[in-house]
Amino acid sequence: MIKLLFQKFGKINTSVLFLCILFCVLELVGHRYGETSIEDFLFFPAFFGFISCIVIFKLGVSLRAFLMKDEDYYDK
Amino acid sequence: MISSLPPGFIMVLGALLVPFLPHIIRQVYMMILILISSYSLTLGFGIHSIINIMDYEFILFQSDALTLPFAIIFHIAAALNVIYGAHEKHWKQHVSIISYSGAAIAAIHAGDLLTLFVWWEATAFTSVFLILAGNSTRSYKSAVRYIIIQVISGMFLLAGAVILLLNDGNVLLTKFDINTLHGQLIFIAFGIKAAFPLLNGWLQDAYPEASEIGTVALSTFTTKLAIFCFAKCFAGTEILIAIGAIMTFYPIFFAVIENDLRRVLTYSLNNQLGFMIVAIGIGTELAINGAVAHAFAHILYKGLLFMGMGAVLYRAGTCKASELGGLYKYMPITAVCTIIGAISISAFPLFSGFVAKSLIMSALGKEGLVLVYFMLLFASAGVLHHSGIKIPFFAFFAHESGIKTKEAPKNMIVAMIIASALCIMIGIFPTMFYQILPYEIIYEPYDFSHVVGQLQLLTFAAFAFICLWHFKIYPPELNSTVLNSDWIYRKMLPGVLLPLLKLINKGNQKLENKINSTFSKFKLFFYNYMLNNKVFDRDAGPDTLIVIQIFTVFLVIILSQVYFF
Repeated sequence: MIKLLFQKFGKINTSVLFLCILFCVLELVGHRYGETSIEDFLFFPAFFGFISCIVIFKLGVSLRAFLMKDEDYYDK
Repeated sequence: MISSLPPGFIMVLGALLVPFLPHIIRQVYMMILILISSYSLTLGFGIHSIINIMDYEFILFQSDALTLPFAIIFHIAAALNVIYGAHEKHWKQHVSIISYSGAAIAAIHAGDLLTLFVWWEATAFTSVFLILAGNSTRSYKSAVRYIIIQVISGMFLLAGAVILLLNDGNVLLTKFDINTLHGQLIFIAFGIKAAFPLLNGWLQDAYPEASEIGTVALSTFTTKLAIFCFAKCFAGTEILIAIGAIMTFYPIFFAVIENDLRRVLTYSLNNQLGFMIVAIGIGTELAINGAVAHAFAHILYKGLLFMGMGAVLYRAGTCKASELGGLYKYMPITAVCTIIGAISISAFPLFSGFVAKSLIMSALGKEGLVLVYFMLLFASAGVLHHSGIKIPFFAFFAHESGIKTKEAPKNMIVAMIIASALCIMIGIFPTMFYQILPYEIIYEPYDFSHVVGQLQLLTFAAFAFICLWHFKIYPPELNSTVLNSDWIYRKMLPGVLLPLLKLINKGNQKLENKINSTFSKFKLFFYNYMLNNKVFDRDAGPDTLIVIQIFTVFLVIILSQVYFF
């Protein structure tokens, strides 16, 4: 299965996936706490990181319509 | 003699000799200048040099716990810049870099506002040549806009200083109250240089237009000088927390859609300045240490990223994500160093960004500023997205661009390796690093919660990017211009003001025509009268004589009135 994952998803991508799993397992082994009480929820940084990246991407792409102009916009 | 000179001054003075030296000797000479300048750092804290001009005391050289870390990193950065630019044979950029670095170093040692003002303007005038070295019409125009804005910032500083001088009788560089007029003017002056929201346009406009060497130097000094000044004069000013939080937040979205990778880095620079501004706004000892540590670490890893992109620009001739890719095969060392810079800025454990950013996040947590804390946490994920992944990925991997080139020049590689080594050393030995910070602290960044929490945040954010790219959701990079706050004075104001001026001009023209026609009629009447009465005749006849006589009589009467009565 791992071999298939390597083939389909790529070696680096699969490695990052395994790292994600490893760091989640680490949280189960030790006691993690945050600077704020909300962060104490299980796997909170993992969810926050994943969702933040998606939100940044979606918002960024939607801003293209307003902010993106031709390369010579200021030279016209 | 040297001990009475402010650090950096010798570099500014020594720059005058740079054009006359042969290439290799010039590089050695500049390193010696930096070494001599750094000697002043060993003199200890206190006021070391004052001069009197017209009953006014200029404190040229003052050092304390806050100036020391900035002075150390400015000297290191100046040396790295000299090494990085060593392949450049022409003297112009070298003069600019050494005098610019010297002016910034002298500025942080100023003990009063007027001395600061002199160096403040000196940093602007010495650095503008690095933008001009971009050698294109665009870089020329950007340089003009850059210098105008920098001078405006200086004018605000001078106005604040003058008002303070009139009110208090002195202009010592100390903590200022934001509620006073002079405080507000100085705050704006610093805010322009720190690239506050809506005042940041010059940063993204000018820096990417500079030469590959120039951008590395520019990224180091100007904005960090402003951070130093804020830490010195406005620590604990609450409004800075809000401004800083906005600064960390909005550049992320611009960086995501920007195509020019050096411009992406300037947005990232803006975002990192936000972290420092928030920390200064909190103002506690832990937070100020965080701001200084972040400025120190940031100069190294942001310099490293700019060095990497500078090397790419130098070899590939472009820095646009849409035109790059697959360069890791040709520039492996540059790729590795850029990745180290990217990992550092993303704040992975064992790298400099982690040990610096942890201080700020802990300071926020301790003060209970939950909303700002989460804004900065969100911004941390954004940093990974645009600087941690986008920069190395689109330059060295992504798709095959077809560009075949060779590794960066040796001097560039040496500078990048030194900067990379420093990023790792700071990350591995944080206790040593914390010792140079302004306040003594006992802080352990490597506890289980910090490390695991940060690793989860970053790896999952990276995994999100991987998913977007792998499933082809991530759109291709496009050649484009992304609108920023400089749009206000580059498009909007000319768009509004020019038609208005034309309208006013048109009205003026009508009014002028009317006045002219009335005046012409009067002139014609007068001329005809004079002509008919032969007043203008070349041959002086009896009429002329009569007129002269009448005027003479009037003149005598008037003069006698003035002198005798």
